[in-house]
Amino acid sequence: MFQIISDSSCDFSPAEAKAHHIEIVPFYITFDQTAHLKEGIDISKEAYFQRLKAEKNLFPQTSQPSPQDYIDAYTPHLDAGKDILSLTISSKVSGSYTSAVLAADMLKEEYPDRTILVMDSLNGSIGQGLILTEIIKMRDKGYSLAETAALAGEVIKTAKIYFTLDSLEYLRRGGRVGPTTALVGGLLGLRPVLHLVDGTVAQLDSVRGSKRVMQLMEEGIAAALEGETQHVTLAIGHILREEDAATFKANLEAALHMTITNPVTEVGVTIGTHAGPGALVVAYCKKYETFVR
Amino acid sequence: MNTWFLVAQILGVITICFEFASYQIKDKSKYFLCTGIGSLFWTSMFVSIGLATGIGTQLSLIIGATYSTIRNLVFWRIFSKNTPQSKEFGLNFLLVMILIALVAGVITVMNMPAQVRWMHILALIMAVSFVICQYLPGVHYVRIAVVVYAFAIILTQTPLNILYGDFRWNVMGILIELAKIASVVVFYARYRSEPKKPHLQFAKPSAL
Repeated sequence: MFQIISDSSCDFSPAEAKAHHIEIVPFYITFDQTAHLKEGIDISKEAYFQRLKAEKNLFPQTSQPSPQDYIDAYTPHLDAGKDILSLTISSKVSGSYTSAVLAADMLKEEYPDRTILVMDSLNGSIGQGLILTEIIKMRDKGYSLAETAALAGEVIKTAKIYFTLDSLEYLRRGGRVGPTTALVGGLLGLRPVLHLVDGTVAQLDSVRGSKRVMQLMEEGIAAALEGETQHVTLAIGHILREEDAATFKANLEAALHMTITNPVTEVGVTIGTHAGPGALVVAYCKKYETFVR
Repeated sequence: MNTWFLVAQILGVITICFEFASYQIKDKSKYFLCTGIGSLFWTSMFVSIGLATGIGTQLSLIIGATYSTIRNLVFWRIFSKNTPQSKEFGLNFLLVMILIALVAGVITVMNMPAQVRWMHILALIMAVSFVICQYLPGVHYVRIAVVVYAFAIILTQTPLNILYGDFRWNVMGILIELAKIASVVVFYARYRSEPKKPHLQFAKPSAL
């Protein structure tokens, strides 16, 4: 059996990680460039977003795990004679993948008989979480590292993530939209819908009003997954918007005639810093079984 | 009949074709390109009428049409690029355009006879609303706004003005506005018969 390691962008809680015997390499958060806090260890997601919401002029920054962080995570498992499958957030939005690859290269000489496979999820947050869940299922079913990596590669190609923001303020703070766009968008009540295309953040559309955007997302997802529901796994995430996320989940279940088994998750800092409190996230991908011949 | 006047009629017909076509297009950047080219012919039409009757008589219309052409073509570039930077520039440009339209419109309205001022105030409000709706997301705002705007324009160019002694009968101007209204009617007739697609097009979970 191999060891699964992911960066904290997968949005697994420490309890979930422990339950599934996976290891999480945390991202760093800094509010003032001095203290670098480890996501999920030194600061909880909720505490982070509450602070982001409360302090108007706060510009927190996130930074990827260093190669040394990955070396520290990989080494004990290599010492224990295990191979490693390491999943990271999209390499187009963070340097986490590069750090993981560097760490794997550095450990090659020391552990020539062991394999470290680093996989770019081309996704993030709950999208990466869904891919990770499929990898866990494969490992638990007894698939080898090579088989798991091959099937996970297929799953990654099908994974989609969409998120709508309650405000353009956090995109403005992060420099992703200009001040006029944020101001006018706010006055018009525009809610952008963003997604990852080939691992890069892009805007799908803008819709006026929170309720309307939820309704249109439900309709859009129902159309996209029509006839596919038994082959698909789906997850919902949010940032300080638990009630809406629960309603969204119930409406999607009704529209898709399926039960969403993945728990509603609070989204982490990697996407959350740009999306901000009030974001609603949905991700889906095909189950690995679809690709088993 | 003056040759330039005949040229103006031909340019007017070409404008009608482009304006009609533009409201059949859902894609924002293609819409702006089509209506932008239409505005270019529209401007040329006023220049030709000016060459036939004296540029002074058409100057305000030439300026107005040039303003529309520049606005549409700049919006076309902004929506084709579709980057956060282009959108930010587009919004700033939109605000400047609204400001220019308001200043020019207020000056025009103040110079109108008191009896027909309400008509021109209505046209001004609709012009500004139309520009905002052009920029708003989706296919509906711009079409609803253009119909109301077209009616407001027609009102300023119909015999209703006779009552106030300020009658300006511009057949081609009215035909251009009627073409926009007809195009929106045709668009919605087609739209109703199309199979309903969700507003947000989410990708199927198939391999890339």
